[in-house]
Amino acid sequence: MHCLFCGADQPEMLTFRSLLRAADSPGFCRSCRDRLALIGSQNSCQLCGRDLLLLDSGTVHGHICNDCMQWKKSGRNGLYERNHAVYQYNAFIKDVLNQFKFRGDSVLACGFANEMKRSFRRIRKEQRLKWQSGFIRSSGDYIVVPIPLSMKRLAERGFNQAEVLAETLGMPIINALIRVRHEPKQSKKNRRERLIVRDTPFRLENEYASLILGKNVLLIDDIYTTGATMRLAAYALSKGNPLKVDSLTLIHA
Amino acid sequence: MLLLSRSKGLPPNDYANVQHILHGREFRAEELPLSEKVIKDCVKKGYVAVRSGIVPLNESVLDLLTDRKKWLCARCGNRDQETFATCTCGRCRKNCIYCRHCLTMGIVRSCTKLVTWCGPEPALHHRFIHQNGPLCVWDGTLSDEQSAAAKALNQALECGKSFLVWAVTGSGKTEMIYPAIERQLKNGRRVVLATPRTDVVRELLPRMRAAFPDVPISGLYAGSEESNADAPLVVSTAHQLIRYSNCFDCIFIDEVDAFPYHFDRMLEFAIRKAARPGAPIAYLSATPPADLKNDYLSGKLCGVMLARRYHGHPLPEPQFRWIGNWLKLIRKGQLPSLLCEWLRAKMGQKRQMFVFVSSVTLSRDLTELLQRAGFSGTAGVHAEDPHRHAKVSDFRKGKINILVTTTILERGVTVPGVEVCVVGADDPVFDDRALVQISGRVGRSAEFPSGDIIFFHNGKTMAMVRARKQIEQMNQNGGFR
Repeated sequence: MHCLFCGADQPEMLTFRSLLRAADSPGFCRSCRDRLALIGSQNSCQLCGRDLLLLDSGTVHGHICNDCMQWKKSGRNGLYERNHAVYQYNAFIKDVLNQFKFRGDSVLACGFANEMKRSFRRIRKEQRLKWQSGFIRSSGDYIVVPIPLSMKRLAERGFNQAEVLAETLGMPIINALIRVRHEPKQSKKNRRERLIVRDTPFRLENEYASLILGKNVLLIDDIYTTGATMRLAAYALSKGNPLKVDSLTLIHA
Repeated sequence: MLLLSRSKGLPPNDYANVQHILHGREFRAEELPLSEKVIKDCVKKGYVAVRSGIVPLNESVLDLLTDRKKWLCARCGNRDQETFATCTCGRCRKNCIYCRHCLTMGIVRSCTKLVTWCGPEPALHHRFIHQNGPLCVWDGTLSDEQSAAAKALNQALECGKSFLVWAVTGSGKTEMIYPAIERQLKNGRRVVLATPRTDVVRELLPRMRAAFPDVPISGLYAGSEESNADAPLVVSTAHQLIRYSNCFDCIFIDEVDAFPYHFDRMLEFAIRKAARPGAPIAYLSATPPADLKNDYLSGKLCGVMLARRYHGHPLPEPQFRWIGNWLKLIRKGQLPSLLCEWLRAKMGQKRQMFVFVSSVTLSRDLTELLQRAGFSGTAGVHAEDPHRHAKVSDFRKGKINILVTTTILERGVTVPGVEVCVVGADDPVFDDRALVQISGRVGRSAEFPSGDIIFFHNGKTMAMVRARKQIEQMNQNGGFR
């Protein structure tokens, strides 16, 4: 089996698990996986999912990072609760993301499938536990909504990376949002520009409004940087009165 | 009348523009600075040809019967089914196949159109063709053997026949092709000098520019910023030729046997696509691959063999030294003592040294070890090193004494007075060709015609023995025994 990213033909280590499991989907080789920085769920920020071990302890307030405190104070969260992230941003994942997103190598999403699925399972489990212990009323499962691209960007890029990532979860995908306004890329903006209060470029598709009514929505995107996009999307979704909006991203930058 | 005026098409200026962009090249429709309307109009006029990026490939009856689809990438010639993938295409709203093999040059999907010029040829308007004097101002002289080879090469290319120059390392191959290049350019032909590696292009380009000052030369390699696409002489890596189509009348391939070319069929495909049908190819190599060698020996391919270096001294022959399990030693953080001794001795003589290793990690480790052992001016380079070009040029200037390198510097690099050792010559990375090339780094200049070349090993391999034999054989052919 060749590695999806580096093309090396490295045999997997033989373990009972790999022996007993059905044939693997194509993925990354060991050395590529080692270079990806997974975020442990124990030491991630409870609101944005970033790796807290990388921060000074002074900027962390009991499992919540400074940025998220700022968001809380700003009152722009609305129905948006929290983000989960799989990998921490580093030079290696930058290369992988570059090939995946900007060169259009959409098959790389398969390499992330296992970790994406695992994160999704964990999110659902947490949700169930909360329900069982009576914290929340509804056990309602998540509705998976990828962050959309504008028509123009879609034509330029050829595919929506968030949708491809959402497909790896194996859940039905609801394209409830559409991006009505074509804006400059977030990745070309700096922090200040991203955080400026602006109108949401998203719109809730009317026919899906009934689907998300009273449900939990899980937004999917490739990267969480400041969280501005997520909040704008959650704001657009709030027209359909979901119970809450969470998000799962591949990377926390 | 009204109808006629409506179907007038584009102003003639626009066609010239399209011709300028597309002639001899092939692009994806989306990377062109032309609107869809302009392209459509040109297609209607028969000036521009459009074809699909990915085409189905049904080679055998079995494929037809089993209904398993196979694909071929029309741009890079890839037919390895594992490197095709599907994506839900945002453009055509269908499941598209795309080629992962040539992804770095922009994605080719099933719905991608490849566009090329098939209309009339543009007029040649290079000033130098009408110039009377010689184009080549290189003031060196060729040895008798070199000029005989150059003459044979020139003749063969004039008749449109391919030619193999089988010449030992450091025999002055590049200088030998100057007369042939000059002749072809004078005849108004477009010439490309293709090499497998960026480093070699970077070395060749200034030499060609110095030799042909009046000829516009464009140098193409990953990261080069060259826009002069019409230059009659192009020095390029084989990869960059993939955007050319049906363009060159004459092709020189330097170092045919270098690793990417004979491993990667894409590059061969790229060169064939860039050439016009029937364009002669001149192969230059010190260690030609088996198929070319056989064709030459059986007389199918014209060619010439040069067994002497231009300065007339024999090739330095490699020596073998056993150093035990070098990998284990280096992993433990120890330097093999024989290696240490040799390096110390050479440092005392104020010589510069290449130390070849088999892998990137080994190059890092050994560099660190040598620096710690007190060898000042040690640096390591490998393919992923962002500063590698700077380090190599520092080495040339003499700022670095010991350069630890992977096989990337095995060919095309000329540093006078350098001595070479290979640490772990028994590693399978070093095949006989690589070892011959590495040995060829030594004694290339007339001032320093000899020097040590030492293979530190843990057990002789076939490749090492063959490499030494080949060098001895060449020296014998050159009349040194």
